Amino acid sequence: MPTILLVEDNEMNRDMLSRRLQRKGYTVIAAHDGEQGHLLACSKSPDLILMDISLPMMNGWEVTRLLKSNESTKHIPIIALTAHAMVTDREKAFEAGCDDYDTKPIEFSRLSEKIENFLLAKKLS
Amino acid sequence: MNFHNLSIKRKLTLITMLTSSAALVLSALSFLIYDLVSFRHLLIQDLRTQAEIIGYNSAGAMEFKDVPAATATLTALTAKEDIVAAVLYTVDGKEFAHYSRTNDAFPKVLPPVSQALGYRFDGGYLQVFHDVTLNGEHLGTLFLQSDMRQWSVRAKRYGGILCIFVLVSGTFALFVSSKLQRLISRPILHLEDSMREVSVKKNYEVRATKSYGDEIGRLIDGFNTMLSEIQHRDGALRSANDELKTRTLELEKEILHRRQTQEELLTAKHTAEEASRAKSTFLANMSHELRTPLNAIIGYSEMLDEEARESGRSENVEDLRKIQSAGKHLLSLINDVLDLSKIEAGKMGLHLEDFEVLPLIDEIVTTVQPAAAKNSNEIKLHVSENVGFMRADITKVRQILFNLLSNACKFTDRGTITVDVDQNDRNGFIRFRVSDTGIGISEKQQQNLFFEFSQADASIARKYGGTGLGLAITHRFVQLMRGQISVESEPGKGSIFTVQLPTQVVLDTTKVARSAAANEGEASPAGSKIYQDTILVIDDDASVRDLMSRFLSKSGFRVVVASNGEEGLRLAKQEKPLVITLDVVMPEFDGWSVLKKLKSDPALSDIPVIIVTIVDNEPMGLDLGAASYLVKPVDRDRLAVLVEKYRMARSVDRPHSMPSAPGAKKPKRQTELKSIGDVHHADDLVGRRQ
Repeated sequence: MPTILLVEDNEMNRDMLSRRLQRKGYTVIAAHDGEQGHLLACSKSPDLILMDISLPMMNGWEVTRLLKSNESTKHIPIIALTAHAMVTDREKAFEAGCDDYDTKPIEFSRLSEKIENFLLAKKLS
Repeated sequence: MNFHNLSIKRKLTLITMLTSSAALVLSALSFLIYDLVSFRHLLIQDLRTQAEIIGYNSAGAMEFKDVPAATATLTALTAKEDIVAAVLYTVDGKEFAHYSRTNDAFPKVLPPVSQALGYRFDGGYLQVFHDVTLNGEHLGTLFLQSDMRQWSVRAKRYGGILCIFVLVSGTFALFVSSKLQRLISRPILHLEDSMREVSVKKNYEVRATKSYGDEIGRLIDGFNTMLSEIQHRDGALRSANDELKTRTLELEKEILHRRQTQEELLTAKHTAEEASRAKSTFLANMSHELRTPLNAIIGYSEMLDEEARESGRSENVEDLRKIQSAGKHLLSLINDVLDLSKIEAGKMGLHLEDFEVLPLIDEIVTTVQPAAAKNSNEIKLHVSENVGFMRADITKVRQILFNLLSNACKFTDRGTITVDVDQNDRNGFIRFRVSDTGIGISEKQQQNLFFEFSQADASIARKYGGTGLGLAITHRFVQLMRGQISVESEPGKGSIFTVQLPTQVVLDTTKVARSAAANEGEASPAGSKIYQDTILVIDDDASVRDLMSRFLSKSGFRVVVASNGEEGLRLAKQEKPLVITLDVVMPEFDGWSVLKKLKSDPALSDIPVIIVTIVDNEPMGLDLGAASYLVKPVDRDRLAVLVEKYRMARSVDRPHSMPSAPGAKKPKRQTELKSIGDVHHADDLVGRRQ
């Protein structure tokens, strides 16, 4: 089953989202800050990353930029999750190299559809 | 010293003295001359008388040739001091007897007797010749010579007297004139002093004293009048000046005051701006903080709901749904507040995209269906046939319609809610009308309907819930897209809300291009970076630019637009596009010139140019080097085939320059190309506008 890396600092959201993803059948690895997220992305090579943006240590934009500039990780699709929903967030997300972007609170059905699309595209390629 | 520069005092004195002295000298001289002339006459007369007497007395002696007697007679002349010499001549002119006062007084050469009788002057002497006769017989001639001693003594004496007299009288005249000149000079000097005081001390209160009623007196009068006039004016000037000073001072105070006020205002403005920024940041942070726990609430309840249903434990499902719906309601409230604050901060942007209207309406109606069912309302939908695609911010259109519909459901009980959608092809607006048969809104309430926090009635909030922000946000969103919203209502009978939106919402040119690019990214997020082939659209008509960029970005191109030839050339150099589409009829720099320029630049001449124009002159276009020629309204299918052809040609030419496209991309692009036919509603509209 595909592995999803969830980078999220809020414990409840992390727990809730990972459980729901697991129920969908994904293997979920979770990171609670940007640095750990970066390490896990490099070491475990997940199939997709859900990236919260307001993170301690290193924020989501920075982690995304790092991962997208690294040959071995740049192919991993990253979906940014932001609670701000400001106009600039959306532009920032694409600027940093995110492949998609969703606002919190998460509408799970919408998010899981996006995840499926990315994983399907990956499988096809 | 020059006379002209002498003081008036001196001048007067001198004039008077010289005048009187001259008169004196003249009169004295004329008197002297007269006296001397008459005295000479007297002397002549006297000498002739002497000559007569001597002649008579010596006649006897002459008769008798008695020389001593004659000499004695002549010697009697000693008593006469003047007579320096006397000679008696005989008839034949020989000297008979002579007399001389002194030896040297006797003339060296005696005048000849033949001289005429009478007197004459010779060498400063008076000479008289007189006949000596006795009883009518001529005996000889008497000669007398006088040195006029008496006359010269008299002349000398008179001259001395005259000089003394002139001196004395001149001195006296000087004295008198120096006294009398004051009559004239004093008032003049006084006037001069007064003038000096005025001019030096600027003292206009000085007045000259008038002594006499003469011309100088009148001059002084005039001077005084002039002074008082000046004094008067000076006073007026001074008071005006004082007033001016006072006013200036007041003005300066006023300016200072205003400047202070201005600074205060500026500070206040900065403070307000700071506060506004702080408010925005606070709201952003708050929304984040509020959403995070909400995320958990909604998420967990959804999860539990799923689990409960899957495991067949349905007793909790109802409660979990309540938690979910309460969470979602809270979320919508937070979103409303955030939206409004963003609108107020001017941070609400538009994300324009093309979408089909009917599916959106269906989606919204489906969403509000539960709310309608709750109050047993029926929703009727009338969408007119010409309604197709529109270009707008879909999220905002959705929210506008959702707000209107959910309001209608909320305020209607067992009624009908009708949604009418039709499109006005003439003015390019699409109209959404939501009518209900609910409680309605009074005219007074309608006035405040679209303002924040103003529900029609405070009791409504208690009965129906809501923040009162829905219509305010709806109103602002409609304004953002340059549409209109209006309401008609009658209490108890129902309300009709009408929203009119442009079918093609536009920002300005650059923003359109940018959002088109962003939309492209949104449409195919996974592969957006693969389709980097750029097409440059040069057209002065905004709607054509918009239409082309929409269509081409949908087909997976990056679109750059230029509104005139010059900008087009600049962008062509900068972007090196795959294809350029070029309009012909443009102001200033027309398409033909742009084409010539493009083809004459070695760096740009390889770029295929598709002429897109209303001018039907294909041979000319192809002659100038255009790759293809399309006549407006544009046939989309043909355009799609053309650009695809150039893209293929390029990837064959330069296979290495193309990024490796994953297999998934190609089918997707093709489906999009096929779907061009679906866009016909919008196309027709734009085509007609061209």
